[in-house]
Amino acid sequence: MNIKELEKLTNEGVDHLPLLERRTFLRAGLAITGLFMGGTILSLTSIRNAEAVTGPLPKKTNYPYKPHYTMVMRQNLCVDCELCMEACVRTNNVPSYGWRTKILERTRDIGPKEQETIFMPILCNQCNEPPCVRVCPTVATYKDKTTGIVVMDYKKCIGCKTCMAACPYNARYFNEEIRAVDKCNFCLDTRLTKGKKDPACVEACPADVRVFGDLNDPESEVYKLVHQPETTVWVLRPETGALPNVFYMNVVLDV
Amino acid sequence: MKGKALLMAALGVVVAAGIALASDTEATVPADAAKEYESFGDTKIVDMEIVKDMFSHKSHVVTAGISCESCHPSLFERKRGAGKAKGDYNHTSFDSGKYCGACHDGDAAFSTTGQQSCKVCHGSDMKQPDIIVFNRPVKGVVFDHKGHVDMGLNCASCHDKEFEMRIGAAEETAHKFHMQAMYGGQYCGVCHNGNIAFAANTRCTTCHIGVKGVEKMFKKKNGDFEKKG
Repeated sequence: MNIKELEKLTNEGVDHLPLLERRTFLRAGLAITGLFMGGTILSLTSIRNAEAVTGPLPKKTNYPYKPHYTMVMRQNLCVDCELCMEACVRTNNVPSYGWRTKILERTRDIGPKEQETIFMPILCNQCNEPPCVRVCPTVATYKDKTTGIVVMDYKKCIGCKTCMAACPYNARYFNEEIRAVDKCNFCLDTRLTKGKKDPACVEACPADVRVFGDLNDPESEVYKLVHQPETTVWVLRPETGALPNVFYMNVVLDV
Repeated sequence: MKGKALLMAALGVVVAAGIALASDTEATVPADAAKEYESFGDTKIVDMEIVKDMFSHKSHVVTAGISCESCHPSLFERKRGAGKAKGDYNHTSFDSGKYCGACHDGDAAFSTTGQQSCKVCHGSDMKQPDIIVFNRPVKGVVFDHKGHVDMGLNCASCHDKEFEMRIGAAEETAHKFHMQAMYGGQYCGVCHNGNIAFAANTRCTTCHIGVKGVEKMFKKKNGDFEKKG
């Protein structure tokens, strides 16, 4: 990239500078000046607000798109039946070695001898500040201007896989058939532009884990879920500052 | 000291004789074990295909003293496999007084549908699965059959009202086999209603261990098997 082009770029500012980068920067600086004192130096940049832990609370300014497509995961309803993955594979021609969505799993003790399993569906978070878009050297991946969906231009992709390394959510894979990186795009090309309301995974989920909609529409279900009072809504890896658009929450199960 | 040596010697002889006898019987038993059936009076009906040891001739004829005419030929033809060939040799016929049901009606002899009676006849043909995996309507759901039996439940607690006693039966009517039915007190919901056992609309991942969970379970099982084998 030449200097002239660089000068034309708008200043990204420090508003969205991730905490992690601040820390790395500080640590590097202090190391050079000989003040690095093991891990204790981290206390200089201690977490001052709660947003750094669970991610920024969704607020109007974070919904710059219309429609601002979002997915809400009602996590504790997920039972890893993987019908979402199957539907995704069918709809988007995902090869056997690839993925656009996955289910992660972890176990947690709920008693001295009892354990529960927690399933966590993941997919591309269609971040507002996507690290993958920032690093792509050929602008093969970019934010869709209307919907904010992070899309791929397969023809421009040179397969350098830098975006795969940059993605905090491991949401990208290299598709050998098309010789390009592939990722979830909320079924933009396969369903949304064809008049369907939601992505294939949402339609396939038998437990209504995934809720899809426009976060800019106060009448939509996603808006209501995300803004529900007395509810913890979180995002994954908020410290990267990517401002993801996939929100997680647990629902109260009737007893 | 002398007594102990004598004892050891005697034991040795017994063991040796036992081994000789065992190898002897092994050698003389015909390959076609179904022939046992011919030696009427002190043996069991053996159907080698599916059902083993289902009916004991001995306990009926020798112990209970029932005459041949009681059953033959009115209830059963004197021919091996005749009952089965008719096609209606099942519990529905028993209930209407045919075949075994002529006596086993709960009066003359124990009922064929009694809570504890399944295993009296089905001692060896019923394979009780330890764990059942359901893959329809959703994948990766397990039922710990052994755990529920060990807990003191008997066959009739679940069979055949809520679940037909046949692998895959519930899944054949997958459109009915869903959570909503359980909330309504069907299937698992008979007990899993929050009173007898945890409610079906809580603790999802206890049974829904998922595709990955099932994979892991079988991997572990096979791993154990490989270690043992």
